[in-house]
Amino acid sequence: MTSSPPTADVDLFADDVLVDPYPTFTHLRELGPVVYLPRHDVYALTRYDVIRGALADTATFSSRAIAFNPAANDALRGTSLASDPPIHTELRATLTENLSPRALRGLKTTIETKADTLVADLVTTGSFEAIDALARAFPLEVVADLIGFTGEVRANMLRWGQAAMEVLGPMNQRTAENFPIAGELYAWCSQVQAEDLTPGSVGRGIFDAEARGAIPAGSAGHIIHQYLGAGVDTTIASIGNLIALFAAFPDQFDLVRADPTLVPSTFAEVLRYWAPLHAWGRAVTRDVEIDGHLIPGGSQAAVLLGSGNRDPRHYDDPDSFRVARNPVDHLSFGYGPHGCAGQGLARLEAHAIIAALARHARRLVAAEPIRVPSNTTRSIDALEILEVVPA
Amino acid sequence: MKITLDRPRCEGHGLCEEAAPELMHLDDDGELVLDIVEVPEGSPQAAAASAAVRVCPVAALKLA
Repeated sequence: MTSSPPTADVDLFADDVLVDPYPTFTHLRELGPVVYLPRHDVYALTRYDVIRGALADTATFSSRAIAFNPAANDALRGTSLASDPPIHTELRATLTENLSPRALRGLKTTIETKADTLVADLVTTGSFEAIDALARAFPLEVVADLIGFTGEVRANMLRWGQAAMEVLGPMNQRTAENFPIAGELYAWCSQVQAEDLTPGSVGRGIFDAEARGAIPAGSAGHIIHQYLGAGVDTTIASIGNLIALFAAFPDQFDLVRADPTLVPSTFAEVLRYWAPLHAWGRAVTRDVEIDGHLIPGGSQAAVLLGSGNRDPRHYDDPDSFRVARNPVDHLSFGYGPHGCAGQGLARLEAHAIIAALARHARRLVAAEPIRVPSNTTRSIDALEILEVVPA
Repeated sequence: MKITLDRPRCEGHGLCEEAAPELMHLDDDGELVLDIVEVPEGSPQAAAASAAVRVCPVAALKLA
């Protein structure tokens, strides 16, 4: 028998929920696999199996409404992120041409060397602020070098990347304040030319591909936009999170230090434990029944990736952080046709940082992480490492 | 049972190789090669194939 899903009077984007969504996620997940949230007029997907199923079913759960306000969804129209198969298939191929693990193999050593040098220097200083000095510095440098950004863009990457994620929320004050900044990014990407990017960079290569006709005319700017919009803020969040988790769980850090083969498993567990993305939208294209509950066609779903990652129906003791767990099927990169296009690069970067920390540091003593509410990316804003004990 | 690969969708993340190294590997160009395609139902190979399908982040592998 089909019934309406349970309803919860929850503001998913309230400051306290954004700073720590996990109590709310637990509450919603226990109410049901699908919970209607009247404050946002969305159907929240809360449990692992339902989320993974929805992400795989692009015909029912369309990407044409990934944001929670119409202006952002309009602005994203025509991008790989916001389209569905079959059009998505071609856009995605264009986007991943230079971003897949295949394409990035040549960068592995460079990225590892950069991470090692940066971490070794910080460990020598004895104490440092880990977000600016490491979680932001490293991905900004990697992505800037990869795309070939110089000058003004390099200086703007952080605020543009943050704004591009912030505007995906509902039309609250944060969204409104960030639209003009996201607009700067969009405007810059609409007029960027090959000569603005360093010769030999991947970004320059994307323009060469456009000039050759290998990718559609006008798509180079869109691709650069997605690199900056999607690839910066999320990676910064996950690197900040892993440093904070190593400081909070020294016994788990010891396990990675003793066994470097745990590096990939550790990163998967960091992503599972603290999902960088808060909620991600889907447009529901038809009436669909989930575990006996009806989600009406024409409505919007909110995919709660971090809630699925803590579902005890899927993960044993989900609220504990265990680096040896190896949860390769975590939901933080999404899943299926829209699975994070930059996950290969994210892994390269994070694995390099974890390995470097495990090599150079024995113990990280940190102050309480400072979090600032943000509509889309859940990240640490400041993390003082008061003392680092060298290895 | 048969393992099938949606070649255009595969991006070479390589998680399947880690899950089932006896069945598939990434070649020197980073392209996935299925070394074994047919696996007997209920066999350890079928279990490994199923694990590989499960971890593919872009749902490019199927087992049927």
